[in-house]
Amino acid sequence: MIFREVEDRDLIAKARQGDVEAYNLLVSRWEKRIFNYLLRLVSNREDALDISQETFLKAYQNLRKLDDPARFSAWLFRIAHNEAFSLLRRRKPESELSEPRPRDFGGRLLPIELSLAVESAFKVLSEDQREAVLLKVYQGFKFDEMAEILEIPVSTVKSRLYTALDLLKATLAPTVFRKGGLA
Amino acid sequence: MSCKLEDRRPDWKSYALGELDARARQEAESHVAACADCQDELAGLRVTLDAMATLREEELPRRIAFVSDKVFEPRWYQKLFLRPSFAAAGLIAAAILVHAFVRPVSTPANVPQPMAQVDTSAIESRVTAEVTARLQSEMAATINTAVTKAVAETEKRDDHRTALLLSASERRYTDAADFLNKQVTRIYALNTGAGVR
Repeated sequence: MIFREVEDRDLIAKARQGDVEAYNLLVSRWEKRIFNYLLRLVSNREDALDISQETFLKAYQNLRKLDDPARFSAWLFRIAHNEAFSLLRRRKPESELSEPRPRDFGGRLLPIELSLAVESAFKVLSEDQREAVLLKVYQGFKFDEMAEILEIPVSTVKSRLYTALDLLKATLAPTVFRKGGLA
Repeated sequence: MSCKLEDRRPDWKSYALGELDARARQEAESHVAACADCQDELAGLRVTLDAMATLREEELPRRIAFVSDKVFEPRWYQKLFLRPSFAAAGLIAAAILVHAFVRPVSTPANVPQPMAQVDTSAIESRVTAEVTARLQSEMAATINTAVTKAVAETEKRDDHRTALLLSASERRYTDAADFLNKQVTRIYALNTGAGVR
């Protein structure tokens, strides 16, 4: 007998019939990715956790509307994106007051400092650019999947991502290139 | 720009992000082997992406889980009616009953009427099956409630313990980061002769 792990689509089918435990298993598979995506996007742990919960609740309520279970991840990230940008729009006036400045890290960098430098460099990106980087670099979505999640053309996805990479490269260059690079 | 391909140079960002197809990838790799300008561009992208890879995934402060709320769950007869086959059978049965009661009587009075045949054993087995099903349903509901309660209590205890551990590790992380930053700044200042900022 060949052991076969339960697929997401099987869990989705069970959850659609009201099996909450199947849905909890599905949540446990995706919660870390969704939380980290939201954390980098909204830059606040409590907000990221609240939106993660809201995302999974909305996903459960609308699971019957998911046409193709194979597209679950893109569909889930679409819900998370909507929830995050709803929060970011509400917070806009407050966040516009503070001008983000990347921190200066001197000397040869240790991994922990490098990761702090990257976190700091993220702050020079717009929300749209940051989200493009998160979906591509950290979540591994393809350009066409990102276009589906963000509901924008692939050309716009590439434009946001390429601009973001140029900005990150320029922001990290003084620390990564001139002062000795990776430890 | 020293790349001889100029505007037709490979899309290095797509290359580094794994979005080029096999053929384009092969063409790009054969070109970069002999083009210093493209080597520089690709190296810069790789260092940036490597730096970004140092950003670690964070754990959730607490797990997300949903519990089944029995108050809002459909009752056994509602669940039965949610099944299309049962609903259709119910409608047909209702239609037959209505037809039997409202249709005009056309049978001549002198035709002998058949005696109603009552199959008591069939009724008895149906009632037994129905009672068994209800009992099983009630027992399952009781067990589910008890299990859900026990799981919720365990999760609450775990959440509390996780929150305490997380808080302690966050403090250690912050302290370590501050300490390292101070050390690096001090060493940089000593090496360059600049004042400590």
